[in-house]
Amino acid sequence: MTNTEKNIPKEDGPAKKKVAPSLALTLKEFKDCADLIYRSLPDLALEMVFFDHLTGSEEFTREIAIPFGSAEEQDVPQLLERSQFTEITDSDALIKKILNGSVALFFHEKCYAIHVYKPESRTIQESESEVVITGPHDSFVETATLNLSLIRRRVKSSRLKVIKCEVGEITKTDVYILYIDGLANMEYVQEFIKRVELIELDAIHDANMLVQCIDDDPNSIFPQFPTTERTDAAVSKLVAGRIVAIVDGSPSVISAPASFFEFFSSPDDYYQRWALGTATRLLRFAAFIVTITFTALYVSVTTFHYEMVPEDLLLTLTESRSRVPFPPIYEALLLEVTIELLREAGARLPTKIGQTIGIVGGIVIGQAAVQAGLTSNILIIAVASSAIASFVIPSYMMSASIRLARFGLIILAGLLGNFGLMLGLALMVIHLSGLTSLKSSYLTPIAPIHLKDWRDTFIRAPFWMLKERPSQSKTSNKVKNKMRQ
Amino acid sequence: MNEKLHPFHIMILIYMNQTGVVIMSLPHLLAENFGYNGWLGVILISLVVNLNIFIISIVYRLGKGKSIFQIMESSLPRVITFPIYMILIGVWSMTGCMVIKNYVYIYQIMSYNTTHAMLLKLLIDIIAYLLIIKGIYTISKAATSFFWITSWMLLLQLFFIKDFEWARLTPFLFKGDTHFLTGGFIVFTAFLGYELCFMLFPYADNPKKFIKSVYKGNLITTLTYLIFCLICFGFYSFEQIRNMMYPLLDLLSYIRLPFIERIENLLFGFFLFTTIVSVVLYSWSAQETFARIVPKANKKVLAFIILTFGYIVAWFPDTLSEVGQWLQYLGYAELGVAFGLPLLLILILVIHKGAKPS
Amino acid sequence: MRTMPKAAALLLVIVIIAGCGDQRILEKQGFIQSTGYDLNGTKNDEKDNRLMITVDIPKSDPEQRMQRETLTAIAHSSKEAKILFAGQTELSLVSGQLRSTLFGVSLAKTGIWKHIDTLVRDPSISQRVKIVVVNGRAHDLLVRDYPQHPRAGQYIDRMLEKESALMSFPLVTIYDFSRDYFDDGIEPIAPIIRENKKNISFDGIALFKKDRYITKIESKQSLIFSMMKQNFKKGEISMKLGDGSKKQEYLLFSSVISNRNVKVKRSTKGNFNIQINIVVKGSVLEYSGSHELSKDYDRKKIEKRMAEYIENEAAALMATMQKHNVDSLGIGRNVRNSLSYEEWNKLDWNKEYPDADIRISARIVIKDFGKFK
Repeated sequence: MTNTEKNIPKEDGPAKKKVAPSLALTLKEFKDCADLIYRSLPDLALEMVFFDHLTGSEEFTREIAIPFGSAEEQDVPQLLERSQFTEITDSDALIKKILNGSVALFFHEKCYAIHVYKPESRTIQESESEVVITGPHDSFVETATLNLSLIRRRVKSSRLKVIKCEVGEITKTDVYILYIDGLANMEYVQEFIKRVELIELDAIHDANMLVQCIDDDPNSIFPQFPTTERTDAAVSKLVAGRIVAIVDGSPSVISAPASFFEFFSSPDDYYQRWALGTATRLLRFAAFIVTITFTALYVSVTTFHYEMVPEDLLLTLTESRSRVPFPPIYEALLLEVTIELLREAGARLPTKIGQTIGIVGGIVIGQAAVQAGLTSNILIIAVASSAIASFVIPSYMMSASIRLARFGLIILAGLLGNFGLMLGLALMVIHLSGLTSLKSSYLTPIAPIHLKDWRDTFIRAPFWMLKERPSQSKTSNKVKNKMRQ
Repeated sequence: MNEKLHPFHIMILIYMNQTGVVIMSLPHLLAENFGYNGWLGVILISLVVNLNIFIISIVYRLGKGKSIFQIMESSLPRVITFPIYMILIGVWSMTGCMVIKNYVYIYQIMSYNTTHAMLLKLLIDIIAYLLIIKGIYTISKAATSFFWITSWMLLLQLFFIKDFEWARLTPFLFKGDTHFLTGGFIVFTAFLGYELCFMLFPYADNPKKFIKSVYKGNLITTLTYLIFCLICFGFYSFEQIRNMMYPLLDLLSYIRLPFIERIENLLFGFFLFTTIVSVVLYSWSAQETFARIVPKANKKVLAFIILTFGYIVAWFPDTLSEVGQWLQYLGYAELGVAFGLPLLLILILVIHKGAKPS
Repeated sequence: MRTMPKAAALLLVIVIIAGCGDQRILEKQGFIQSTGYDLNGTKNDEKDNRLMITVDIPKSDPEQRMQRETLTAIAHSSKEAKILFAGQTELSLVSGQLRSTLFGVSLAKTGIWKHIDTLVRDPSISQRVKIVVVNGRAHDLLVRDYPQHPRAGQYIDRMLEKESALMSFPLVTIYDFSRDYFDDGIEPIAPIIRENKKNISFDGIALFKKDRYITKIESKQSLIFSMMKQNFKKGEISMKLGDGSKKQEYLLFSSVISNRNVKVKRSTKGNFNIQINIVVKGSVLEYSGSHELSKDYDRKKIEKRMAEYIENEAAALMATMQKHNVDSLGIGRNVRNSLSYEEWNKLDWNKEYPDADIRISARIVIKDFGKFK
């Protein structure tokens, strides 16, 4: 919301005077760029400037080396007439072209550019952060064009539209905004483009960074747009009438608008039998409740509400607590922080060392902490199960946010018991109700209510029941299997 | 505020605004005032509420969906509207704050006995403030979320089937030591909250379904009350209910699950959600009225003033029974508003032959 | 939107100020699990109206060897005793985990509502606290150790829960007791236990008139009592069937499903004719008699004799109850529900009850008789 008011687009100033491109000017501009290649073909009176790491050698050979290699000087103008060569009359434009992987050709006084961009790219691999068991295993890579091709291959429709924007004052990162014409609501598309264009940052390194610049509420701890590395997930969002944005240099793509509950669904849900998919989804919501309340409830019960413990548990609980010298809230926070440390350490370290961390951490937490009387073993169960539960949530961003919110609830529960817990939950619900994603309610389909959407939110109903696209995308083609002509 | 309220959300708003901690003592009130099988009294009162909603619906129809302020200001001089607004602000803001205080005091019977009640109240006030300033659309969204979070509690009734006995209900209807009139008023206050629907006139998405959803909201409240009270009357003996201050609280404490028991503490915590909605709606209405008096003021500031005023007033009553008294009197005042204001509006509209095109 | 973080910070500050006040950290509490009430003086000493109050507190401190602590005080009320106890233990005593209260029979005879009232009033006390009458002194029973069993409080608690599931004891909680205490058509009951040399055993059902203990029903009759009082679905009854001349036959009737209904008729004179019908279904797994269970004719005969047995036992029970004028079955409720409010108000059920004509008829259905002919 604030972005729109805060960021007034910077004008390019009074239109710059166009300067005719010349070799000398170009070389001057790229002074001290050791990676710039300059080739001269004196027999053809042709000179070339390019970055060989941006251009594909195959393309270079095909488009330049072969035709010009066998040509005479008088053939050159004819060759340059070919459509792939464009004549450039502006020096700035030429520099931009070169930076984008074109080869600049200087022939007499004229200047041409040919696009032979083929950057080195990581091969398409399986996503490490979003693993699925069944379903497509390819995931996006850092090259936007490759990502585009991955999507195009899955959506063979001329209605898949791509809009290109540029973000980052220095980096000039390409952002491609994708939508399916006739399915996506154009208001969302306009709004999205507007927000992307209004970003005023010198560099955007990743889609997850871009997301924070276009959030409705940047102060919220909850992500308002999901990002995914999975191609099938991105395509399913497109088909649902949402917008997808690809950021060059990032293997994640953004989808918008989104609701809170969307973060709990994973593409696998659709590849399993519907009963299984439903069970998994319900499990995730149960995991959500466990994550945010379990430890807090332990703290609240042991600090304030001893009467809630059933008789059979009472003695074991008291026994394990009686060795611990601090109040339950310190105990719980200590253990929670330790688990977070372990998680963070595991994420930073290479896989081989990461395993060691797991083992050391497991022993330290599982055994030594209890024996040393630092924590009670029932708390370990509570903390561990809520930590595990938090990892069940498919979106890493959401699971991290929920874990953070949990700390607040633990503190509230430790200070005010169940009342504090409820206060915290109320605060969370109020905050979530106020959130919007591209100005659409974050809590759809609960508020505003759309009972039909529940079939694909809380459960995963069989496909014959999922006849309509989600209401949040406000699509003009509600019914699936149909495209209005 | 261009977003409109869907009829479903109006229904939920009305329901969430009506229910509150009053339900804890409702069976007791019914037994004391309506005698044997007093739970059926809920239906009687609900019928009166429906009558009142009908009156309000006439205003809505005659006024063609114009807000009550527009109707009043179109024909009454400022000298008359000003005191009316002041009364409304006073009643609504105080009702809101007393509801919180009542909630806190009942909670303090169970836990946090020595913590300062006003500190706990302040916490709820802050939460309420955060919601009020977001406007009615977000309030309705939050109310719907709260509704889903609390609705499962109706399933708890299943725990009592085993100990429920129809024989305890007795065949006597409204017999025993009864006080229909005073009792009726007291029980009626448990239903209050529906009258704020006249604040929602301009926000209704679907004019045809608007009044229907208010009726529906009241119906849900009635059913909830009816089920809870029926369970209480069949679970406890009649004399026992007459002697219990908060039968429902005791009822909840009877629940025992294998891994947790005595969850009345936690369940009462869930009533915080319905309480917050009541408070927020009352304070929001007060704020909207206040905005009519000072149209240029920032609404956040107005909400702050209203809550602060309520907070100061809430210092006065010091015991649970005093809070109950205050709520009772405020309830009577609110009753006057619920019936009086629509009648006044109808009068205005009839004299002016319907709403003038604005 | 920027109000949110500020408000959240303010919230936290207030929570910190408000919090920490009413903490009851689990391991620092001494959970009273059972309380025993006895009259302090002997029967002859009428002046001493003080009580002897005993509490049983389980302990779980791994460094201490004792599994429990028992405290006794002589005081006027349980709350006074709690203050006295506080000076004797390192834990702060709380009653939120109270599971059972034991009343000595001599105290029960003088009325126990006063004590139950404090239990009902205290919000920390569960409504599921069990009420038990001790034939003897509750104190003696509570402080003793039973080497073959868990600590006394838990021992009683678990025994009650297990047995009540089989319907051989009634399980009476504060909720049940106060509900029946207030109901005008039924009188409360409670189980009675007795201390033996090595263990604790069930001694019957205590019948109360309002809150005063009047008489008891022997433990072997308790299932018959349950059949007369309510419907139930579990339980086992052993019957001694004899028709005078022949030798006695023993029969074990198990997996009992018992249904009863009560019919109230009022004669023109105003006397009540009350009919209690009991239908019991179950399987016979042990039978020592001469009839053959597999033969329909014989089985019908056995069923009839079983019904007679139940009718006789029930009639005897009914007579005792009427003699002592305790309506523990809640027949008054059935009478009340058959009358109009005015009639019921005019009627003094207390006076009518001993003379009411209450008849019991039973019907037995042997569903099966095991897997052997």
